[in-house]
Amino acid sequence: MIQLSDVHKSFQVKDRKTRTWRRIEAVRRLSFTVAPGEIYGLLGPNGAGKSTTLRMIAGLMQPDHGRIEVCGIGTQEQPERSRSMVGYLSTDLNVYTRFTPRELLRLFGEFQGLDAQVAERRGIGLLEKLQMKDFADIRMEGFSSGQKQKVSIARALLHDPPVVIFDEPTTGLDVLTAKTVLDLLRVLKSEGRAMIVSTHVMPMVEDICDRVGILFAGELHGDAPPKELLTRWRVHSLEEVFFQLAANGSEAR
Amino acid sequence: MRGAFLICKKEFLELSKDKRTLFWTFVLPLLLYPLVFILIAGLGQRDAAKRLSRPSRIAIVDPAQVLEPRLRGALRTFELVDQHPGDIKIILKDHNLDLQVEVERSAAQKLERQEPFVIHILFDATEPASELALERLRETIRKLDEEQIQMRLQALHAPPQLTQPSRLITESAAEAGLATGKALGSFLPYVLMLMLFQGAMQHGVYVTAGEKERGTLQTLLATRLPRNQIIWGKLAYIFIMGLLAALLNLASMGFSLAVLMGKTTARLTQADPGVTGQLATMTSPGILLLCFLLMVPLGLLFSSFILFMGVRARNTAEAGTSLMPGLFVIVLLGAFSLAPGLERMPFLPYVPILNVSLAIRNLFSRQGDVVEYLVAFCMTTGLSILMTWASARLLDRESAIFTQS
Repeated sequence: MIQLSDVHKSFQVKDRKTRTWRRIEAVRRLSFTVAPGEIYGLLGPNGAGKSTTLRMIAGLMQPDHGRIEVCGIGTQEQPERSRSMVGYLSTDLNVYTRFTPRELLRLFGEFQGLDAQVAERRGIGLLEKLQMKDFADIRMEGFSSGQKQKVSIARALLHDPPVVIFDEPTTGLDVLTAKTVLDLLRVLKSEGRAMIVSTHVMPMVEDICDRVGILFAGELHGDAPPKELLTRWRVHSLEEVFFQLAANGSEAR
Repeated sequence: MRGAFLICKKEFLELSKDKRTLFWTFVLPLLLYPLVFILIAGLGQRDAAKRLSRPSRIAIVDPAQVLEPRLRGALRTFELVDQHPGDIKIILKDHNLDLQVEVERSAAQKLERQEPFVIHILFDATEPASELALERLRETIRKLDEEQIQMRLQALHAPPQLTQPSRLITESAAEAGLATGKALGSFLPYVLMLMLFQGAMQHGVYVTAGEKERGTLQTLLATRLPRNQIIWGKLAYIFIMGLLAALLNLASMGFSLAVLMGKTTARLTQADPGVTGQLATMTSPGILLLCFLLMVPLGLLFSSFILFMGVRARNTAEAGTSLMPGLFVIVLLGAFSLAPGLERMPFLPYVPILNVSLAIRNLFSRQGDVVEYLVAFCMTTGLSILMTWASARLLDRESAIFTQS
């Protein structure tokens, strides 16, 4: 289970024009929970604070204020333990291209505290699910972005984490590969994992997400099932919610 | 510590996949130094032999015929040529002539009157052939002078030893090979430091800023491994690579030099064990062990500095550039450590890096001081611990990881 309570995060940036430093609030008063067996869709335009939120849950960043718990473990108090509960995938992340998928997964399994042989066995199982078993012993230098993404997914799930965070898991993937990933997400959900998926692909959100939170300028707007959101905003698609938020935002500004 | 071991293992595994880097790191130094040294020595020897076998080309103006007949008589040593028209300096540079000699017009009369006469020589100090010709000419003139002195002594019925009131006998009290040891002691720390840093630098940049640039560092940070263990693992890898590179380069260089020196000394003196023998006397296992023990904290200090700068940098270009001043400092300190009389400066044992130089230098010249050695060892170890701690702290800072965002 994932729980965020009143989370704030800001960054200091330099304004090149005025040559002054100023603080930008990436995330403000963010609170939501994700239960086991639930897929939470975190949506929002670029720069809304999605990746920052996911990085904080994955333990790569710490909030300025507020509290984040993963399976009841505070990310600030026990960072290593909380990270071991999370499988994190992001488009920022890359694979070690000199290794074969088998070597990479064995190594990362060991990093996550698994025995090398167990890690390799689990890794091969995951590659099989992702239709990558035939490439297990080929160096990743020549892999396509889709193939690398599949290996990254296997790496994220290798230690059997109860919490899964996927930041734009289908970006750059062809429809077949994207379907494989979506099928895997459904399997993970059926296994009772708490999942957060951030994406710009709205049909995917409506298809697989149980609840949706829309981040806009660092704040959460709406935290409900997709259909309920559509009713609440009196629109037909989630894209329209985006447009309304953008319009309200500019009016407010 | 298991995490650090795993990270170090990962780095070595990754390196093992890169055959070219392995070749440049481990095989090339073993081939390069012997090849370069043998080539240079071969070329040098061939050039020297060629010069020695060729008579020196001399243009001489000697109206009194005091010197010229002697030069003409030594066909294998001198070749007399006519004076070339034009600028003599250019002619000397163009290798058409090695020396120009002008003997005083009244040399014969002055010789008879037992007065000194002047021989004016024009040569090019930058040309080895011209230097050799001058040396040969000096020897001929020395013989001429010697003959003249003996003739004058005979005429005075004086004993031939009249011009030699004393005979100098010198005997060195220095330990065998101490001079070689001192020379090695001042040169070795410089080479060691340079190789330790240079050898570790590229690998250090690859596993720190390189990982950031390739987007793989976050995958490590997202695992359960504590940050300090990631740092220690990377530090161990950088340190081992630096040490291996330094030892390999030194071994290859030492082997090439030993073979080269062995050949040279064997050629010059058949019975003398030569410089290699002296080196063997100087480099006892104890001295080598003490040197190695100093190299460990020094290597750690360099590795932690590389690690710190690598973690701090946004990309490999920035990391490489920011490490250059470090390399410059080492070159500067190394060059300073070559200076004579350094051991007499009282503050040097407290200057980091330089105190290691001094300690190694003193070890080789058999003047090792326990306090100085311990100060160098403890200070370098302390600094490397401090730098490693700073690197681990830096990796905990989000600004160091997400510098792009």
